[in-house]
Amino acid sequence: MTRSMKNFLSFLGRCGQLACEGDWRYYAWTGALFALCLVGLNAYARQFAHGLAVTGMTDQVAWGVYIANFTFLVGVAAAAVMLVIPVYIYKNEELHDLVIFGELLAIAAILMCLAFVMVDLGRPDRFWHMIPGIGKFNFPGSLLSWDVIVLNGYLALNIYVCAYLLYCRYAKQPPNKWLYLPPIFIGIVWAISIHTVTAFLYVGLGGRPFWNSAIIGPRFLASAFTAGPALIILALQIVRRITARAADETPSATDANAQSMRPASVVDLALLGKFLPEFDSVSDEARQHLLASGTVLEVPTAHTFLRQGTRGEGAYFVLNGRVAVNREDSGRLRTVRTLGPGEQFGEISALNGTPRTATAVAEEPSRVLRVPAEALRQLMKTPELERVIRARMHDRLMISDRALLTLRHIVQVAMIINVFLLGNEVFKEFYTGNLHVSSATYLYFGLHGHHALVPWIWTAIACNLTALVLLLLPITTSLKWLDVACVLAIVGIWIEKGMGLVIPGFIPSPLGEIVEYSPTWNETLVCFGIWAFGLLIYTVLLRVAVPILQGRFTRAT
Amino acid sequence: MAANTSLPNLAAPPPPEGTSRRSFLRASAAVASGLAAMAASLAPLRELSDLGSVEEFLQNHYKELTPVEMEQALARIRREVEKQYGLRPHVRDLRPMDGVEFVYCLNLTRCIGCRKCVHACVAENNQSRSPEIQYIRVLKMPNGTFDMEKGDHHYATPTVPEKGFFYMPVQCHQCKNPPCVKVCPVDATWQESDGITVIDYDWCIGCRYCEAACPYFARRFNFAEPKIPKEQINPDMAYLGNRPRHKGVMEKCHFCIQRTRAGKYPACLEVCPTGARKFGNILDPASEVSQILRHKRVFVLKEEVGTLPRFFYYFDV
Repeated sequence: MTRSMKNFLSFLGRCGQLACEGDWRYYAWTGALFALCLVGLNAYARQFAHGLAVTGMTDQVAWGVYIANFTFLVGVAAAAVMLVIPVYIYKNEELHDLVIFGELLAIAAILMCLAFVMVDLGRPDRFWHMIPGIGKFNFPGSLLSWDVIVLNGYLALNIYVCAYLLYCRYAKQPPNKWLYLPPIFIGIVWAISIHTVTAFLYVGLGGRPFWNSAIIGPRFLASAFTAGPALIILALQIVRRITARAADETPSATDANAQSMRPASVVDLALLGKFLPEFDSVSDEARQHLLASGTVLEVPTAHTFLRQGTRGEGAYFVLNGRVAVNREDSGRLRTVRTLGPGEQFGEISALNGTPRTATAVAEEPSRVLRVPAEALRQLMKTPELERVIRARMHDRLMISDRALLTLRHIVQVAMIINVFLLGNEVFKEFYTGNLHVSSATYLYFGLHGHHALVPWIWTAIACNLTALVLLLLPITTSLKWLDVACVLAIVGIWIEKGMGLVIPGFIPSPLGEIVEYSPTWNETLVCFGIWAFGLLIYTVLLRVAVPILQGRFTRAT
Repeated sequence: MAANTSLPNLAAPPPPEGTSRRSFLRASAAVASGLAAMAASLAPLRELSDLGSVEEFLQNHYKELTPVEMEQALARIRREVEKQYGLRPHVRDLRPMDGVEFVYCLNLTRCIGCRKCVHACVAENNQSRSPEIQYIRVLKMPNGTFDMEKGDHHYATPTVPEKGFFYMPVQCHQCKNPPCVKVCPVDATWQESDGITVIDYDWCIGCRYCEAACPYFARRFNFAEPKIPKEQINPDMAYLGNRPRHKGVMEKCHFCIQRTRAGKYPACLEVCPTGARKFGNILDPASEVSQILRHKRVFVLKEEVGTLPRFFYYFDV
């Protein structure tokens, strides 16, 4: 126990070290974010000293852009589940490695949520009154106390799952499914709960007819499942771009170029057994078969074993040296994994008879064992070995175009539902036309000569509808147009469920008074600071996670 | 999101051992300048005027205080008021009386909209003069409608009462089913046995959820440190009532707890020149409010919200 604890602590220490390393672009980006954080901190210090009077909020409009951002970001955090469900319930392989990007985004988003709540408090020094057991917690009466529990619980779940899975990759040990599958499945329900509870914060207020509508909960989920995956689509492409280089002409793959080629010997198998302990349990029969059909290749640096898209049979085990598995998407080449002794490649197409999913190139002079498909099947009759090989089949950081297009489907469907539910709400409000329509009238058309939100909401509607049309057209199967649709959806939803939902709930006031709201500069700077803080967190998390997923950062390196 | 412009050069080899001293110095310089910049960004904290005492910070919830702790809290409040306003206040912790449930009745036929109740309330309850906080809102309503969007909140008083209008003061309705109490995450506001919904100003975290929940616009938030001229301080104070508040917490009408629990009428009632305001114990069948509820045609505001107010309106005719 203490040893695994020590290992984990050294893992964290090395992650911290890694997070501080990078090229000038990394330092420029994180430095700029840090500077923006400080600008926000400065604005917050002013608010702390002078009170919330430095914001645009009033007794009439008691919540403003802080709570609007909070509401939006809870949705972003909840949306991580839209990657988990396809992978763990529908067994989608393309998205398998991307789940962790969604969960890391959830961590950053929840931290931003907590920051937005803290800056909204009049007495942040009394936050301890909200800690169950120490303070006095109005549970289950207050929906806000529910929110404290679900948000912190969700944060803990995601930190745990990410840390465990990344640590296993780092330590090169197969994760124990009993240790990560239960939290992942709990996380699915939990993700839905965080956004439902956040919706109930508003829905539960009988004195605010604009919010007191049963459809807000479903609307929140639909808009979250649009904006969240849209954000992930953009983030993944940025990761892909930064870890990629332009695809160059790699020589065609043929093992005939190898420096030497000879049949496998008992010594080679013993060497493999050293790096792959599970190999020891292989039956003698399978060993004989392997000796009869296996070939050992000695290759120089830059030798290409196999090429993405071509056909080929046979899998490879690295005996010595290092092999990079590269993938080409949209004309750019990325390393999805690097392999050391004892690890395999080429097994997916060997087992399935499908074209190669990636290109494998020697990063240094290497020695590998080539195993024909039949011999590989023999090997996999050994349960221990099969488990390891199957587990490693997915250990690749692929961000394939197909994965992004799967996410496009999710955004597409969620956007249709989102616009449909919004339409339902609009119908109910305006067709009935009773006194309760005031807030909606104020939002969409202005009320008694006040119309601060009108340009905003129509911008949001234009963004949402354009995004919807784009997503429905085949044009968005091109990533460029998909990006446009995603940006429009994010902007539209940020306005619609942030400012467009929180502010009009307060206007007119319960006594019919109209006091408009617009955020002050100080308030806006605090928001920028928190967003920069969130991006900084996400950047650092990715800085550590990507090399681990690529297999470049392991306990051995 | 441009979050990830950070991941280039992942294959960069670790720096050779010889440079570790230099890179350590560089890293320390970066950390030091980062911390210095952070400290500089916190400069506005120097303008902080009212650093709360450690005692106040650590103080427990009102309902958890032992009699001794309550005495200490009252002594601390006396000290603080004396230091800030230069007079020694009379601060008490008044508890509800048995067999009492307070109810307010307001005669809309009589109210002339003079706002004397508003001013009396501000003076009695030590409300901030800047920024202005008032518990009572008087609406000038055109005859023939109850649509409050048609009401005027900012009419001028010298001309009241104006023909064709009636005046409707609104303050905390001390609901029997108070949404503000339900939503408070830290139990900083609750309903007492005499029907008054109170706030522990030393426990409120200032999230303003109660303000969002209230259907009567009865709650007020201290957006800035309240300012009250020293000579205008009312020294007769109650812990859950009119003792001075600090910035960042909620406050509201509490039926003048410091008066009504000591057998007096609320300030708004005493000052009313037309006798439009009636206050008393609904559990006493002989009380004036019981009579009114029995014999007048009374109504409550926004009955459909289900808050069951203890504040009733009625007309003479």
